Amino acid sequence: MAASMAPGGACAAGQCAGRCAKALKDGTFTENPVCVQILGICSALAVTTRLANALVMGAALIFTTGMSNLLISLLRNATPRRIRMIAEVAIIATFVIMFDQFLKAFYPAMSKQLGPYVGLIITNCIVMGRAEAYAMQNPPLPSIVDGLANGMGYAAVLAVIGVVRELLGTGKLLGFTVLPPTVYTPNQAMVLAPGAFVVLGCALAVYAVLKAPARQEAKA
Amino acid sequence: MKSSLYTVLYSLALGTVCALLLTGASLIARPYKDSNARAAEERTILQVLLVPVGQEANAAEVSRVFAENVRKDESGGHVRYIYVGADGSAPKAVAIPFSGPGLWGPVKGFIALEPDMRTIRNVIFHEQEETPGLGGEIGSAWFQERFRGKRIIGADGTPGITIIRDGRASGLNEVDGITGATMTCEKVKLMLNKCIELITREDKSDGS
Repeated sequence: MAASMAPGGACAAGQCAGRCAKALKDGTFTENPVCVQILGICSALAVTTRLANALVMGAALIFTTGMSNLLISLLRNATPRRIRMIAEVAIIATFVIMFDQFLKAFYPAMSKQLGPYVGLIITNCIVMGRAEAYAMQNPPLPSIVDGLANGMGYAAVLAVIGVVRELLGTGKLLGFTVLPPTVYTPNQAMVLAPGAFVVLGCALAVYAVLKAPARQEAKA
Repeated sequence: MKSSLYTVLYSLALGTVCALLLTGASLIARPYKDSNARAAEERTILQVLLVPVGQEANAAEVSRVFAENVRKDESGGHVRYIYVGADGSAPKAVAIPFSGPGLWGPVKGFIALEPDMRTIRNVIFHEQEETPGLGGEIGSAWFQERFRGKRIIGADGTPGITIIRDGRASGLNEVDGITGATMTCEKVKLMLNKCIELITREDKSDGS
């Protein structure tokens, strides 16, 4: 990927806009971190019992990948190669802990529900992956776009899984009753772990169908 | 050599900046986290005393209800939370904290007694690390509700409750246990009885 980019930090206006647009499209759809790279699955399965949890987790990842990509990109020429991964982890961990502290201070109930999964974003492969694969080789502006886009791609998949699981598992959405018990009997399995696997599998299948025309276009 | 020195300096600088950022975040968050912890404890005490408070009530609302209804009593070296009600008349219930080792980790909770100090009004285990789905069910409402209305003194007058096989509880101081969580139930029984012994002993010394 880096080979096609201009060397150094130079980023001409037109080229930069193109690069940002590509980063945005790749991160959110074409190279969706969850659907294509199958990264961040652990939290995608664990925190999607409710839509609200999925949304907050998505926001946490958007913040973390965006900010860490920006900072790592800014430092990319100053960072010694030998310790670059440790530096990346230090930067990522800083932003994750900041977000965790924010949740604990202002949304304690949400923080309790997400449990260890906010802290575990430090080891989320998407964040580290974007730092290594993109931010280390690209200027700050496309890097922050790439980070935000990948975060949004992750958040979108989590939101979809969260909607399906909360709706089928409890008949509610964001805590409001959508399907009253008289109309629909909530399926407990959707809230439990097996439901997460089933919904994720279906989400991947739907994604593959949606993406199929784009792939054929690319071939033609 | 030169590059090693640079690497060390870079690490130091990056480490310092990250540490400063985290210290700042922690300092800003601390007062909010402290008040959240206080609200969580107050909410638990209100729950165990069965003081009506909305599930969705925010921290300020919980604090207000707590201040209006609950008095903390530390006389006699033990903490007691007394539900006096807004009119400040005779106590409606008393909550006493207890703790002890569970099967996997410490268990903490509150036991609330009716004004007669012999009938259990409610029990809550608010901190526990027991096996999820088995012993961990002590944190669930259905198990905690089994204690309601039980007596802390047996038919023969000895203080203490027993937690026995699910479905077998018949005596007034017998509570149905959780199937598959015999060890946890045994530990819970021990810590509750330690607390009950203190309560009954204290009352005796008060009377004499």
